[in-house]
Amino acid sequence: MASNEFTTYKDTTPAARLDNKTLNKMVWRSCQLQAAFNYERMQSAGWLWSMLPGLQKIHTNKEDLATSMTHNMDFLNTHPFAVTFVMGMVLSMEQQKVDIQTIRSVRVSTAAPLGGIGDALFWMTLIPIIAGMTANMAIEGSLLGPILYFVIAFGCEMALRYGLMYWSYNMGTKAVTMMTAYAKEITHAASVLGVFVIGALISNMGAGAKLGVSIPNGENPIVVQDYLNKVLPCLIPLLFTLMCYVLIKKKGFTPVKLIGLFLVIGIVGAIFGIWAGSYTPLVPVPWDVVA
Amino acid sequence: MDFNIVECVLLAILTFFFAIDQFSLTEIVYRPIIACPIIGIILGDMETGLAVGGAYELMMVGNMPVGGAQPPNAVLGGIVAMVFAVKANMDTNAALGACMIFATFGQYVVTLTFTIMSGLMAKADKAAEEANPRGITNVLNISMLILGSLFAVIAVLAYTGGTAMADTLQNLSDNASWLMGGLSMAGLMMRFVGFGILLKIMFANDMWGYLLSGFALALVIGNIEATASATLILIAFIGIMLAVIDFKLSSMSKNAGNGGMSDGI
Repeated sequence: MASNEFTTYKDTTPAARLDNKTLNKMVWRSCQLQAAFNYERMQSAGWLWSMLPGLQKIHTNKEDLATSMTHNMDFLNTHPFAVTFVMGMVLSMEQQKVDIQTIRSVRVSTAAPLGGIGDALFWMTLIPIIAGMTANMAIEGSLLGPILYFVIAFGCEMALRYGLMYWSYNMGTKAVTMMTAYAKEITHAASVLGVFVIGALISNMGAGAKLGVSIPNGENPIVVQDYLNKVLPCLIPLLFTLMCYVLIKKKGFTPVKLIGLFLVIGIVGAIFGIWAGSYTPLVPVPWDVVA
Repeated sequence: MDFNIVECVLLAILTFFFAIDQFSLTEIVYRPIIACPIIGIILGDMETGLAVGGAYELMMVGNMPVGGAQPPNAVLGGIVAMVFAVKANMDTNAALGACMIFATFGQYVVTLTFTIMSGLMAKADKAAEEANPRGITNVLNISMLILGSLFAVIAVLAYTGGTAMADTLQNLSDNASWLMGGLSMAGLMMRFVGFGILLKIMFANDMWGYLLSGFALALVIGNIEATASATLILIAFIGIMLAVIDFKLSSMSKNAGNGGMSDGI
């Protein structure tokens, strides 16, 4: 590829520090990171587009701009909200006119671990918490649910984009060393938080999955779920979650396959009147179905 | 039932926007909890939109575009669920259970688009070699146009099909309540798939205690009337503490391994 021919820029005098206006512009442009997402190069075109305002300021020489744009079209995949951390880093190196191969390897080595950390923090932790808070408001018919959801989620997203851009641009290459040295520990700590929250979600949001079998017994029908609750409340949600985990992990089930499985479990269960709900089982069974 | 050309056009425009939003722009607005009420306004029933959106959002927890994997598509799923719920009067969970097939189909549309768009990279490379920023902008615009249009077309098909099938579905839910009850339960259970995916990514064998203590604490906090509505925030507070302790411990033992004098760099 043409981009491999160049290892240094023609003009190696460090450029002036980028002004805040340009940095802010790149923060907003970074929202389009995945606009041209594809399987060959993933986020590369969106990345280059986000970086352009800075690159154009740094490389006044057209040949250097072409070189820089070309190597910034490399494969890239990182977390879309945390990408400004990588951007700030690469910008500070571009500004110092660092050796191109160094920029390339730093970009790749920062982007990948950041992807994992960002997923763990944002998609796996923050969004479930916001969803848990606001979804019930929406279900009860309050417009405040979606509005709060947007304000909190988008607010955190933009704060993250701004904060990381300035933080990493100011820290420059020192940030890379810190990040990569502790990537494993940060990911583990974020996973602890995530796993803890999932545990909470299982009982907090899964409680609707219960048995509806109620055996007629004069004044006091025997509701099987009540007995189950005495053993462990939310036992069914817990078992189903663990079942999904085991099937994905050990048997390589895809999410689609599991969704299909639950459709079968749900409908077959309802045919025999096992699950809670307000319906009439297809097969006449000697017990009542309660919600 | 009633096919309405204005609804149909508005829905197509909205879908065009949501399709792009699921990967760029805000990456928040397409989420069911926000998208479904907006679709509801177009279909003339925002109440249902809020109910479906809230329930779908819970189902989507964990079903995120993580690590390049595509989950069942929330944009198409939300549209179909809304058409079922509003036009065919299906109950929320039943509509969500029934929309899953379409959401899965949407996932393949996304995969297809991402494959097609690889072809645009040659165009982007050329623009880069010529130091032509406008060329890169064009690549982005073309990509978004393709993705948005594909989804808009499918949304129109889903709307037309869903509205045409509405009467049949309505009869079905009257005569076969067990099917709707089953779909309802299946729709509710699908969130466990999301939890399972999250666990696959994050869980390690030293984390059983964290998982179960989260489960236990949420049960306790959730059953106390005064704290129930804030359960997850309280859980997050405790979780942050656990994460900080974990980080301190693991970085301490790492530094000790390096001779105890490392400054972390």
